[in-house]
Amino acid sequence: MKKVEYWVKIPFGPIHPGLEEPEKFILTLDGESIVNVDVKLGYNLRGIQWIAMRRNYVQIMYLAERICGICSFSHNHTYVRAVEEMAGIEVPERAEYIRVIIGELERIHSHLLNLGVIGHDIGYDTVLHLTWLAREKVMDVLEAISGNRVNYSMITIGGVRRDINEKRKRLILEMIEYYKKIMPQIEDIFLHDSTIEARLRDVATAPKKLALEMGAVGPTGRGSGIKEDARWSEGLGVYPDLGVKPILPQDVTGEKARGDVYDRVAVRIGELWQSLELIERALDQMPEGKIKTFPKDNVLLAKLKVMADGEGIGRYEAPRGELVHYVRGQKGKDGPLRWKMREPTFPNLFTIAKALEGNQLADVVVAIASIDPCLSCTDRVAVVKDGKRTILTEKDLLKLSIEKTREINPNIRGDPTPAGLGCLRGGLL
Amino acid sequence: MIWELLALLGIYAYVSIASLLYAGIDRKLVARMQRRIGPPILQPFYDFLKLASKETIVPNTANFMFKASPILMLATTIALLAYTPIGFKPLFATKGDIIVFIYLLTLADFFLVLGAISSGNPYAKVGASREIALLASREPAMMLGVFTVMWALSKHGVEKPFSLANLYEHNIWEFGPMAWVGGAVLIYVFMTWLASEVEAGFFNVPEAEQEIAEGPLVEYSGRYLAIIKLAESLKEFIAASLVVAILFPWGIEMPGLEGYVVNLLIHTAKVFAVLFVAKTVFRAVTGRLRVTEAVNLLWTRVFSASLVASLIIAMGVVM
Repeated sequence: MKKVEYWVKIPFGPIHPGLEEPEKFILTLDGESIVNVDVKLGYNLRGIQWIAMRRNYVQIMYLAERICGICSFSHNHTYVRAVEEMAGIEVPERAEYIRVIIGELERIHSHLLNLGVIGHDIGYDTVLHLTWLAREKVMDVLEAISGNRVNYSMITIGGVRRDINEKRKRLILEMIEYYKKIMPQIEDIFLHDSTIEARLRDVATAPKKLALEMGAVGPTGRGSGIKEDARWSEGLGVYPDLGVKPILPQDVTGEKARGDVYDRVAVRIGELWQSLELIERALDQMPEGKIKTFPKDNVLLAKLKVMADGEGIGRYEAPRGELVHYVRGQKGKDGPLRWKMREPTFPNLFTIAKALEGNQLADVVVAIASIDPCLSCTDRVAVVKDGKRTILTEKDLLKLSIEKTREINPNIRGDPTPAGLGCLRGGLL
Repeated sequence: MIWELLALLGIYAYVSIASLLYAGIDRKLVARMQRRIGPPILQPFYDFLKLASKETIVPNTANFMFKASPILMLATTIALLAYTPIGFKPLFATKGDIIVFIYLLTLADFFLVLGAISSGNPYAKVGASREIALLASREPAMMLGVFTVMWALSKHGVEKPFSLANLYEHNIWEFGPMAWVGGAVLIYVFMTWLASEVEAGFFNVPEAEQEIAEGPLVEYSGRYLAIIKLAESLKEFIAASLVVAILFPWGIEMPGLEGYVVNLLIHTAKVFAVLFVAKTVFRAVTGRLRVTEAVNLLWTRVFSASLVASLIIAMGVVM
């Protein structure tokens, strides 16, 4: 008896109670089994890069911070590093330590938030409330340091804006003691509760090969066994002195990485422990000294007008994965010519879409939650022309890029089609 | 006949209030377990009134059954009240009323499923198929448990054993140590069945808000949603009443109307206690399983336990 296949397509999103942000997955189902997942983006365009082209370097810091409400420091930090590289600005060592502290505090609250969301998506609301209650402590500390729970505005080009004095240091150390007390409970629940284990094991398994092909980054990539962490591989700031290293699933569970949701959760728990260590060491090793190179923003802007020339790239391991910002500036201008970001969610979404094949419908939401997606960071350009709306593909973007290059420099020879890229490259050489 | 209809109306009013009240208590208790304040205890009443006054939207893809199902579901549930033991024998107790009870309980779910697949929404269809899968998996264990008890009663000389009215005169605990062991196993069976019936914890699969946007209810709004919510609350009380009548039937001997009132209140307290265990605590300390895992659990553990309980009780009777 030949099995009759009856596939049904279900639109998952853009508005769905299981998704925190607008995105769309077209699920092809055979019963409850997933045959295929198509990802559609483009529902959350906010024009941030367009707005940035009308701002100066200092103003863009506040814009970058509001790309995402959860990894606000990460975006600000990465942008600032790109500008510092472009301008050749040195950062005082104490400021580097403060940056580490703020970055790790953000990682703690981001991971706790995500663990709660994963619990919620399998109907386990009690663990959601447990982790979110725990998260309040770190947000209180961030508020005490910066005056804001979410958009800290701590960082500036050439340093940080506020110092961590003895009182704040004591607050942070108290917070660390608090987390060392409750982390065993959180770890026990997420790694050993039978319901959670039943729901997270072997779900959306992304083997290492698939993760590498798709370019998975962050806990998603490390959950598949890829030993990569931008803080570690980049040798970023003072991170090498603090002993940061990529946390793989076997570091937490003792078992070889499979690349499922459970392993991604394990990586986050391991990173929570590591963040506490890093903060403690940073507080201990932090030297005295200045916290920023330029005391005033107007002086900073005047200096940037002279120093900002060329290109700069900032790389940082945000809680969700590797974040890259690119800026290009020109001497005499007070804002960048170009500012571009590559967010971790983009490759991770396609990794998870592929990994979901063969899983059940019930696994979709928790699998998506396990990569900790952020569409605010990710969303791409949608073009509305003559009332029609199209999503630009890779070929389209490449063609537009070549045409743009030709506009800028009409003398460049070569074919403006994608096939002509080789000629263009040859010409440049 | 008139008296019985009036009594049914009174029971319907009482059970509506009691079940919605427990829904409020349930939310409050779970919130406290999660260290939240939680909504007011009367929130389910406010929700019902608000839904009843809101707009009802019917999808273009829906057929007539979409509108008919909520009403049929509520009607079935009210009819079910006439066969439900609530501290005293059911209004329409006959020699085979347990059969009617089980049939009507299943029929109410069936109407919900019909409404879901009539809406034309793919999430509703997924929810409907999940509902049927769980229904088909939980009922055999419950029926085997119930019929074992009835069979044991008949073997001990009880006339008309397939009536729920008997449970207030004779119960499973009267028949010695083997029946106690079997009864203890049946507690697990009936409590898990009840959790599945009220869709708590592991079994919050057909609605599964985070997955399929409340499944069978996704297209309902306004009056129809209010009716379904009320019918579901009633069904919770009714299902818990069955568990209480079989396992914890004791009451107080008291004549006249006062006796009915007191026993009804005692029964309500027992229903609340049973629902506290099967619904409130269960959903606070567990997450949701996949439909395949839930079905597997119901067959491999609950049905097996029911079978074991039956064998133990049967051995007790035979010896």
